[in-house]
Amino acid sequence: MSAPLTFLVVDDSKLHHQMYELVFSRGSLTGSTVLHAYNGREGYTMLQAHPELTAVFLDLNMPEMNGLEFLARRRADGMQLHVPVVMVTTEDSPDDERRGREAGAWEYLRKPFQPADIERTIDRVRQSAVSR
Amino acid sequence: MTGDNAFAELIHEYVGECLPLAEQAADGFLDVERRWNGGLQVDDVAPRLKGLVHTVKGNSAMMGQSAAAEVAHAIEDLFATLLSDASQREPATLDLLLDGANLLIELVRNAASGKTDSARVASWAGAVRALLAGQSAPAAMATGTSSRRAAAEGAIDTVRVDFRRLDALQEIVGEAIIAQSRLRDIQRRMVAHLGFTEETAELDASINAVEKTTQKLEDAVMATRLVPLSGVFGRFARLVRDAAQSTGKQVRLDTVGGDTRLDKAIVDRLGEPLVHLITNAVVHGVEREDVRRSRGKSVEAVIRLSAASVSDGVILTISDDGGGLDADRIAERARALGLEVNSSATDAIYPLIFVPGLSTVEAVSSLAGRGVGLDVVASSLHAMGGSITVESAPGRGTRFILRVPVTLAVVRTLLFEVSDERYAIPLAHVVETVRVEDGDIHEINHRGVVLWRGELLPVVDGAALVGAGAVGGDAARKYTVVVHAGTRRRGVLVDRLLGHRSVVAKGLDPALGRTRLVSGTTIMGDGRVTCILDAQRLVDPLPAHAATALS
Repeated sequence: MSAPLTFLVVDDSKLHHQMYELVFSRGSLTGSTVLHAYNGREGYTMLQAHPELTAVFLDLNMPEMNGLEFLARRRADGMQLHVPVVMVTTEDSPDDERRGREAGAWEYLRKPFQPADIERTIDRVRQSAVSR
Repeated sequence: MTGDNAFAELIHEYVGECLPLAEQAADGFLDVERRWNGGLQVDDVAPRLKGLVHTVKGNSAMMGQSAAAEVAHAIEDLFATLLSDASQREPATLDLLLDGANLLIELVRNAASGKTDSARVASWAGAVRALLAGQSAPAAMATGTSSRRAAAEGAIDTVRVDFRRLDALQEIVGEAIIAQSRLRDIQRRMVAHLGFTEETAELDASINAVEKTTQKLEDAVMATRLVPLSGVFGRFARLVRDAAQSTGKQVRLDTVGGDTRLDKAIVDRLGEPLVHLITNAVVHGVEREDVRRSRGKSVEAVIRLSAASVSDGVILTISDDGGGLDADRIAERARALGLEVNSSATDAIYPLIFVPGLSTVEAVSSLAGRGVGLDVVASSLHAMGGSITVESAPGRGTRFILRVPVTLAVVRTLLFEVSDERYAIPLAHVVETVRVEDGDIHEINHRGVVLWRGELLPVVDGAALVGAGAVGGDAARKYTVVVHAGTRRRGVLVDRLLGHRSVVAKGLDPALGRTRLVSGTTIMGDGRVTCILDAQRLVDPLPAHAATALS
């Protein structure tokens, strides 16, 4: 991986941000830049400012604009539609995944995930980003 | 537990984030319970509550905390059911929800140590599964086999019954026992009048059969009344947290044996004494942080609450690793109250904290004070046929040991007669009965003793103990009943042994006032009221008048 990667994590759980930091500071992702947003509104502002994002990891349940509202707003505004959004869901919520895809998420990442799951997801969104 | 998890190093961040969420959820569910009980809506708070539990579930799963994740998941299911089906909002189900929230708090709090009370998790999760399977059985039947099996297991094995019905059932068993002992009485009188005849023998056999059946019935009813202690235990985590917070201390509560089962009536009555003892442990038992530091102790104090079944009931202990009891101060206060303190042995001094007026700390704190002393704790335990003792090591901590019977209702007793009065004593406290021959009773320091199994057993005259009948005179009793409680033993001299009897214990009539040695009463077959003696108090160091009555 040559080009520096930049990720936006939108999640109201501080613990999750620390988990992403951990993953992005190791292995093949070392050196990546991580931007942090703690609710959908904050995340959306950051998305507007960062067209270079490699991917957005978007939590579903958040105060002040949840994940689905974030996606709906983005579609309505036509905002950075080239940036892949990964919807982060819980393992037992297939409905959320469907709704996320319909609203414009490219991929989904199921909790609980391991570092390797994040790496695989990033590989997939980068592949599809090239082919789109 | 988290050793092989990729995020194991974030365990403290996990606890830091999830513990407040779990606590908010527990508070939220309490609010929900209150509102539902008051016929109010919860629509405005339900989504946030769901979100809290969901976040804890997700985070726990991420951290490999599978027990916490499982409990959070079950809470979600249970809450969803309660939201959608108002008919499910029964006290027992709401209790289950609150227990779950408290259990979740415990699991998150202890995540870093890797300690999981898996028995408690399993019993709680089992109860939730049974409940959910029971209520959703028809729907589950139509879907997959596994859910059908789960539904079938839950639905067929479990029936929910209003506890008042079990109380009523117990009452009926009690009446049957009283009627049966009346029959037995009549049969004995017939034998006395008529001698053994074919009829009395037949009657004897029939009554035997009835007694056996009643016994089985009693055991079966008893079994339905048993509930695990985990329900009450669960509520103490918050109590400790709140008490610690308001006193500026760091205190952890460890619980062991939450799966120990007792009659619900006893579990309910245990709540208040335990709250008192645990609050006491936090407020008075545990030292301030600076004191702990200077003593080389960890800043975080540990209060341990444990329960275990023994043959005749359940033993609960509440121990802290605080400063221990101050024997000098207790003795001083006892003297100030006008009590005689003859011994400097801590064994003699520590029990004085249960004397009315003694344990009320001068600076009454808003929490533990409440004007209630340990004497109230002790008397509520005695009232349920239990006992409380205390052990302490200066600088190392204090332990309260509570013994409670498994049930309140039916007590197996030994019936005896002394100076023409009948008394019952719980069989669980009787070691054996021994015939007294002339010259068996010796006197040492004005106290009577008998040689029993190679040891000197202090004895006391039954009549003197209970303050009945004429003392002295021809007090040549024929039997010694060897009573034990805790670590002590004592012989009680009686006239006649009347045999074993299951009796239905009734509380003491308040009109009788505080009767030192009597824990309750019962109605015998002939309608007479008989006192049930309190074994714990029988073996306590003697009041002077009873000890000297022998000489």
